[in-house]
Amino acid sequence: MASTAHRRLLQEYRALTNNPPDGITAGPMSEDDLLQWEALIQGPEGTPFEGGIFPAELKFPKDYPLAPPTMKFLGEIFHPNGMCCPHLPMGRYRRKLINIASVRPRLHLHPASPGDDPNHYEHASERWSPIQSVEKILISVMSMLAEPNDESPANVEAAKMWRDRRAEYEQKVRDGVRRMLGL
Amino acid sequence: MADKGFDDIADSTDWLATPLPGLAAVEAALRCQICKDFYATPMLTSCNHTFCSMCIRRALANDGKCPACRSSQELSKLRSNWSMEEAVLAFVRTRDDVLALARKPPTVLVETVEVPVATTTTTASSASPPPKHALDVDEGKEYAAEDQPAKRLRSSARRSKTRGAELTAEMARQEASFSMPSSHSVPDQTYNDGLVACPICLERMKEVQVDRHLDSSCPGTPQEQPPKQKSTSSSHRNGFQVLSRPAAPPKPERLPTLSYSMLKDAQLRKKLADLGIPKDGSREILQKRHQEWITIWNANCDSLHPKRKSELLQDLDVWERTLGSRAPTSSRSIHQGAQIKDKGFDHAAWSAKHDSSFQDLVASARKSRAQALQKANEGQASTEMSPQQQSAGASTTSMASPSSPSHMHVDQNSLPLDVSSASEPPGPPPNREYTPPSMPGRSNPMAGLPVIDTAAMYYQLYGTGEPS
Repeated sequence: MASTAHRRLLQEYRALTNNPPDGITAGPMSEDDLLQWEALIQGPEGTPFEGGIFPAELKFPKDYPLAPPTMKFLGEIFHPNGMCCPHLPMGRYRRKLINIASVRPRLHLHPASPGDDPNHYEHASERWSPIQSVEKILISVMSMLAEPNDESPANVEAAKMWRDRRAEYEQKVRDGVRRMLGL
Repeated sequence: MADKGFDDIADSTDWLATPLPGLAAVEAALRCQICKDFYATPMLTSCNHTFCSMCIRRALANDGKCPACRSSQELSKLRSNWSMEEAVLAFVRTRDDVLALARKPPTVLVETVEVPVATTTTTASSASPPPKHALDVDEGKEYAAEDQPAKRLRSSARRSKTRGAELTAEMARQEASFSMPSSHSVPDQTYNDGLVACPICLERMKEVQVDRHLDSSCPGTPQEQPPKQKSTSSSHRNGFQVLSRPAAPPKPERLPTLSYSMLKDAQLRKKLADLGIPKDGSREILQKRHQEWITIWNANCDSLHPKRKSELLQDLDVWERTLGSRAPTSSRSIHQGAQIKDKGFDHAAWSAKHDSSFQDLVASARKSRAQALQKANEGQASTEMSPQQQSAGASTTSMASPSSPSHMHVDQNSLPLDVSSASEPPGPPPNREYTPPSMPGRSNPMAGLPVIDTAAMYYQLYGTGEPS
């Protein structure tokens, strides 16, 4: 007995194992629950994130792929589109964490119902569709690390710094990467 | 949890590690983008995208847009894509063999590289039999799509004779595992009647008649005859009709969608009962179940080989266990909501079971309220309010305190499970029975309205304290 979501996730896992995209590893955390995945994203080369490895957690709804998964970086990451402060309560900030995937090409991870979309500027084509996949999400997130999307900043401080004081921003990101690696 | 082990899952990326990486793209083109599996009953949308019947029906029921291009689509506009189904069937039949050969060590590589290509070509041609190829005719015999494996077997057997002994043995082994119960010898279904088929309507006639027929009497579309007639006038058939539907019992009717908002609970339950599917559960579950049944049923209507209703009911049961009423829940709140709304919900047991958490929430609500009051009082003190205003504030406090039997403050936030309400003003008073969240028919009509401070109003109007 397997639901549509399980079959599809198993299929995606198979494809990711056979043919992993550069710098991305992803898979279910345990065999018992295919709806919880863990992913590792390498910082793209030629960006201040280079050398860093960013663990993230993907949670899939039971009616995946009709509804999108949610994604959250597990560590701290300084980026205009992402803010993960473990001490902040969830709820109000959750939306911002998810917004990490408002990337270019943007994959909005919220359901596509118009009333539910807090970001009205997002075009329909940028929203979730069942033909998107884990691989596409992770690749988009990776490309967003290299190229922040300043139209929908979640971390305003990072966005401002990225726009006005690029050198300082890059230094701060590099420091974050080093701290994360325990250097 | 899954049907198959991880290693048994076939994926288009399997080809990338073989000498035939190009087949990965071929296979990817034969897979549905929604379920990532081979197309099952592929359907064409009016924007010319193809998906499995079940997948696209679910997706359209969800948001009414094509998942590929996001144009608005209607369920009624879906059309079967039988050529795609043929291609998928043919590919799936030959896939394991080709993959096994492609994965062989390079010693036999020279030969194996040829074999897969030859096999796919043969399969492709057997999937669409050449109409001009004239062999023996078997009058009155029905040819269905199931006959194709037999044909393929024979053609590959012929080819295997020319190969080395090792390969022959290998092929024989694969064919043995390949044989199907219906693989009896079937003669090729072409014609030896000296006639040719009209390229448009497929009617058979003498060669010299074709031009005139095209100019005058050709109806312009392929003329398919009902299976009953076929057996009596089989000389009018040709190979193309292998692609048409096999003689089947009368097709089940597609089910219409319902506008659920027009139906009362009882009516909806009756509809479900009429359809022969379970009619228990909350309103939400009823709607979802009906929706899923329509999807399963109509997708089955699209299929070339419809399943029996009992099998469909099993599919619905799987849905019930994974997404429906009996689904294991990771998101507790949703499930609890459904549970509470259920008719047979045991309120007493629920209150007893969750008593401690209710108490905790009440305690934390009181605490945060006390803090808020304290802050407010400090604020009042610091701004040096006039004694009249202070008395008004005090009377408000006494009205809103938990000991007062009923007040709008209290009604507004009587959802003990909602943690966010913990920081809001007072929880339910201790001597009250707590109302579990989302009780049917308990939505507070006053919710959302501004809280009216009756005491303050009274004071402003009459210049005195509370009405005695």
